[in-house]
Amino acid sequence: MATVMVNRPVVAAPAKGGGRVTGTGTLLRFMLRRDRIRFPAWTLGLALLMGYFATALETFVESPADLEGLTAFSGSPAGALFGGPGFGFDDLTIERFLAGQYGLYVAIGAGLMGLLTVVRHTRVEERSGRAELIRANVVGRHAQLTAVLALAATMAAVVAILIGGLMASRGYDLGGSLLFGASVGAVALVFAGVAAVTVQLSEYPRAASGAAGALLGAAFVLRGLGDMAAAQGGGASWLSWLSPIGWSQQTAPYVHDRWWPLVISLAFAAAAAAAGYALSARRDFGAGLVPPRPGPARAAAWLDGPLALAFRLHRASLIGWSVGLLAAGLAYGSFTQPLLDGFTDAPEDMVAIMGGSENLLDGYLGTMGLTMALAVGVYAVLAMQTLRAEESEGRAEPVLATAVSRSAWIGSHLVVTAVGVPWLLLVAGAGMGVGAAVSTGDAGSFGNLLLGHVAHTPAVWLLLAAAALLYAVAPRVLPLIWVVLGYGLIFGYFAPILDIPASAGWLSPFAHVGEHPLEEVSVVAVLVLTGLAAVTAQVARLAFRRDVVGRT
Amino acid sequence: MTTAIDIQHIDKLFGRIKALDGLDLQVETGTVHGFLGPNGAGKSTTIRILLGLLRADRGRVRLLGGDPWADAVRLHRRLAYVPGDVELWPNLTGGEAIDLFARLRGGTDPVRRDELCQRFDLDPRKKGRTYSKGNRQKVALIAALASDVDLLLLDEPTAGLDPLMEAVFQECIREACAAGRTVLLSSHILAQVEVLADQISIIRQGRIVETGSLTDLRHLTRTSVDAIVDSPAASLATLAGVHGLQDTDGHVRFEVDGDHLAAVIRRLGDLGVRGLTVRPPTLEQLLLRHYGDEPARNGAVA
Repeated sequence: MATVMVNRPVVAAPAKGGGRVTGTGTLLRFMLRRDRIRFPAWTLGLALLMGYFATALETFVESPADLEGLTAFSGSPAGALFGGPGFGFDDLTIERFLAGQYGLYVAIGAGLMGLLTVVRHTRVEERSGRAELIRANVVGRHAQLTAVLALAATMAAVVAILIGGLMASRGYDLGGSLLFGASVGAVALVFAGVAAVTVQLSEYPRAASGAAGALLGAAFVLRGLGDMAAAQGGGASWLSWLSPIGWSQQTAPYVHDRWWPLVISLAFAAAAAAAGYALSARRDFGAGLVPPRPGPARAAAWLDGPLALAFRLHRASLIGWSVGLLAAGLAYGSFTQPLLDGFTDAPEDMVAIMGGSENLLDGYLGTMGLTMALAVGVYAVLAMQTLRAEESEGRAEPVLATAVSRSAWIGSHLVVTAVGVPWLLLVAGAGMGVGAAVSTGDAGSFGNLLLGHVAHTPAVWLLLAAAALLYAVAPRVLPLIWVVLGYGLIFGYFAPILDIPASAGWLSPFAHVGEHPLEEVSVVAVLVLTGLAAVTAQVARLAFRRDVVGRT
Repeated sequence: MTTAIDIQHIDKLFGRIKALDGLDLQVETGTVHGFLGPNGAGKSTTIRILLGLLRADRGRVRLLGGDPWADAVRLHRRLAYVPGDVELWPNLTGGEAIDLFARLRGGTDPVRRDELCQRFDLDPRKKGRTYSKGNRQKVALIAALASDVDLLLLDEPTAGLDPLMEAVFQECIREACAAGRTVLLSSHILAQVEVLADQISIIRQGRIVETGSLTDLRHLTRTSVDAIVDSPAASLATLAGVHGLQDTDGHVRFEVDGDHLAAVIRRLGDLGVRGLTVRPPTLEQLLLRHYGDEPARNGAVA
């Protein structure tokens, strides 16, 4: 009788205390595979954005006089708020202006890239339950966080190299170009670290990216206040040093070429990542450090019909838009005086957009009214898109199975959004008015600004009704409504400089009311647009009397 | 007895796909009607037509004496609906959703609502996005069962519930029935329908292939017999209606058509039966007969 020896494979005993990052390499390859589109889209996208700024500016600036015109505007406190500390602006070159004025926006994009990448591969995965499958394999506790931080660092490095290379390839100083690229990449790294902390706090991915995004916003504001103080020679310029974006801007590429502020960025990113590791060890898988709060066990008494439900569903978005437009209004309003000072020397095309040099104030305020109307148009279209989501995600069906008719359902969402439109325009106008009054020291334009904003209501209403009609007839083509908004934007801004004939304007709902206070408000246009919007909305309600399930 | 649901020969097309193909369905007032069929047979489409969310391409539909398409709002005050896959608003709590549905329907009974929350063991203070599938299902069930309506349309209502909650659900349906409510219960869980339903309709590929009480349907199918006999039992195979006879040392197993049972039992007596187990057909067997034997037709909906 033969004896069979069975050799069982020997399983290595896990190393004592180690193995926390086992599987990191595999996970990193897996993440790269998942992000094979996203990775190049972010990195190339940011580099191309910078390239676009550079090309546009080189086309725009034809003579040294043009550069001087830019200095007057960018060197002002408002220019500092929306640009940066303006190193070397007294002896301006194109690359200094690019790094000092536009670098900020590329850096913000890089910050978003870093934080969204980390949230996507950690909390989103945990929330969806996919991470559970991963962690049940031979994967260490810290492997996922380590892999995503490695991924984010790689993305930051690629962005730094691409932007540095791009700037150097345009003939700008090589050292400054590399430093500028690195300063953009540093912002990505810092906010990847910030997100490594925020994903530990809440169970929900949106809360994690929201908290990290709020910190990015705070970084923008802090350095804005600091840079503004610096431009005025004030003492609060140290505020810039509290902001991770500020550290990147303080490198002053093409001027001082300082690398050392990036050491702060690196140290901060490392400390934040370490905090993320420490916090993640203190919580259960899938849980957050902040336990979810229970909500009300009963519905409020007012929540008793389709209109109340529509309001409840749009409430959070309305509050968000109100705050955002108020802030934007205040910011752009406070821009008024510096702009008037700066634009006296600005290139002609820019002045033409604002309605010519003799009406600069009214032109600027009127253009801002149109800008806010377009922004509120975005709100209206997004509100109609939530309607489509309600249907396709199965929440419309149980509501329509109660005593709520189809036309009451779509109608209540339309009413809430339609009331939201003048409200948001009023909020934006009030913000602009206060900002402009503080900036110019003259509150005389406040009433005109309110009127100029709210007068756009019928145009947005028509856009809203058209979106509702598209949704009611064929929800799939709803995105076509963006074309109307885009046309309104292009015509409204660029008709004077792009030689678009004025007759082409009748196609845009935004081209009829008039950009008050530069132009008078056309009562006829207001009445016609309101009537058209009402008819279109009614047609949408009637067209919606069809199958509502399985359309999308 | 009046008819709560009366569907006559309806068709429904989605593009070129025929979801319903001449479907007939009658549900009498005050009964629990089981609506059985595999996934994709057309159960949900039928219920959505009853709700007026879809419109039948052909045929006649009456619900509580009205036209579900034209009178949707009036009829919806008298019915409650639970879908098989409940989606809730992520930022509303379960309690808010329950109250909202009740108010949209036109009335609410707060005492009954709280009692049901307790029986179904639901925490109404959690946000919609935090509920598991089973808990979302409970929210819709409580909202439906707490309302004072004539008709409950339940589309696979217990998908995702554990057995304990399944028992609570069955209790609630019996109470609803005792209160005179009509229930249309769609399901592919056979045991559930078997326990609750007075009448059953089986749907397959968009048409009703069988309808009647469980007793009626059992006539149509075979009874399983398991017996121990003293004498050789080969002669059983010669009787009409006997299928699949197996004989192992006096232990016989076979199936017999319902209407030939009497003759077979008499013959078993003659053979000196010492032990006998007779099982009624399960709904699995009923379904197998309809889905297992017939060749699949082409062109019907998945």
